[in-house]
Amino acid sequence: MAVVLLPGLLATESGGQKRLEVEAATVGEALRALPVGDLVLDEHGEIRSLVHVYVDGERTRDLAASVSATAQIRIVAAIAGG
Amino acid sequence: MGVLLLVGTRKGLFLIRGDDERRSFEVEGPLLPGWEVKHAIADPRDGSLYACANSWVYGGTVQRSTDLGKTWTRSEGLGLPEDSELKLASTWHLEPGHESQPGTLWLGGEPGVLFRTDDSGASWQVNEALLGHATRDRWSPGAGGLITHSITLDRDDPQLLWIGISAAGVFRSEDGGGSWHPRNQGTEACFFPEDRFPELGQCVHKVLAHPGRPGRLWQQNHCGVYRSDDGGDSWAALHQNGLPSEFGFGLALDPADPDTAFVVPEEGAENRVTCDGRLGIYRTTDAGASWELIVAEEPAWAAVLREGMSFDEEAVYVGAQSGHLYALRHGEVVRATEHLPPILSVEAAALQ
Repeated sequence: MAVVLLPGLLATESGGQKRLEVEAATVGEALRALPVGDLVLDEHGEIRSLVHVYVDGERTRDLAASVSATAQIRIVAAIAGG
Repeated sequence: MGVLLLVGTRKGLFLIRGDDERRSFEVEGPLLPGWEVKHAIADPRDGSLYACANSWVYGGTVQRSTDLGKTWTRSEGLGLPEDSELKLASTWHLEPGHESQPGTLWLGGEPGVLFRTDDSGASWQVNEALLGHATRDRWSPGAGGLITHSITLDRDDPQLLWIGISAAGVFRSEDGGGSWHPRNQGTEACFFPEDRFPELGQCVHKVLAHPGRPGRLWQQNHCGVYRSDDGGDSWAALHQNGLPSEFGFGLALDPADPDTAFVVPEEGAENRVTCDGRLGIYRTTDAGASWELIVAEEPAWAAVLREGMSFDEEAVYVGAQSGHLYALRHGEVVRATEHLPPILSVEAAALQ
């Protein structure tokens, strides 16, 4: 199972869970499996522009990229706003 | 009866409870921390709270609470179809549906879109007639974006409603949203170099239908204050009757008197602060033939946004970007609270 680490607001929206395990072969499958998938991805299925996704420390926006069963996927909100 | 004020701010939602006299207020919050709440309502039909909760990272959402804000559920699947080539940028305004349609609510958002739910926000359907409107390519975004910010219903006819879009103008539907028709005759687009009275393209800032007189609408516009007595077919300009400026955002009415309205004029489009260095609320009691000044604060810098005014049978409520909230009752102004984050919206509900 891949592990997904969520930042604060997404963790709150996931019922307080900061760490989730998901069954996924790709980055897209992992993000869509989240209870906050609609906040990470827009309505057309693309990663929102100010959401950053790191797989085992490497940043990616490729939803088709494969993830291993032991992958750690970290979601980070971009530095923005005020 | 007391009042429950839902105050949306840049940093969450506050619930503010006022007593029968509107002299004492208690603040609860912030709720929905981390979210910018552009508008929130209490549905008078079942007491549920709904909030337009937005994030610059995670987009626009609607959140619903059935326990007065203790817990919230986010509507899922809110978005625009891929073939529209548009994406929902933010959620702006919630409006309970007609009292004969429990579970129905309307939602306005950016870019100039409208949604409807018939299951109390569990799912939302985009209004296709507005999404694919033949005039959409003539709409222009204002400073807040291309936003559907006003949704106002006829009290009697559930098929009759109006919306306001900046900057596209006022549109009316007589078939429950099945079709939309521009209703801007007489309202000026003062920012256009040539045709200043076009069919559409006006920058309406807020439009409200009076709940007690069918066909009477009030409008605060980028270029003036207007009234219509024929459901928007024609508009009369009222801002030359004693207002210091044609510019402003907020608008409030008196449900018991269709001739009474309240506005907060601002210096102008290039200097969006209240006129004369004070928070001046202007009231008409003669359908806009004249206006009188009621000063809430002097001197003060202030600015009141388009959702920053609300009203009930007892009072008018004004929330400012400075974080001050005022209640105006019988001509007397009470400072309800201060030190809130910048206030984006105020909505009054009966205290539960």
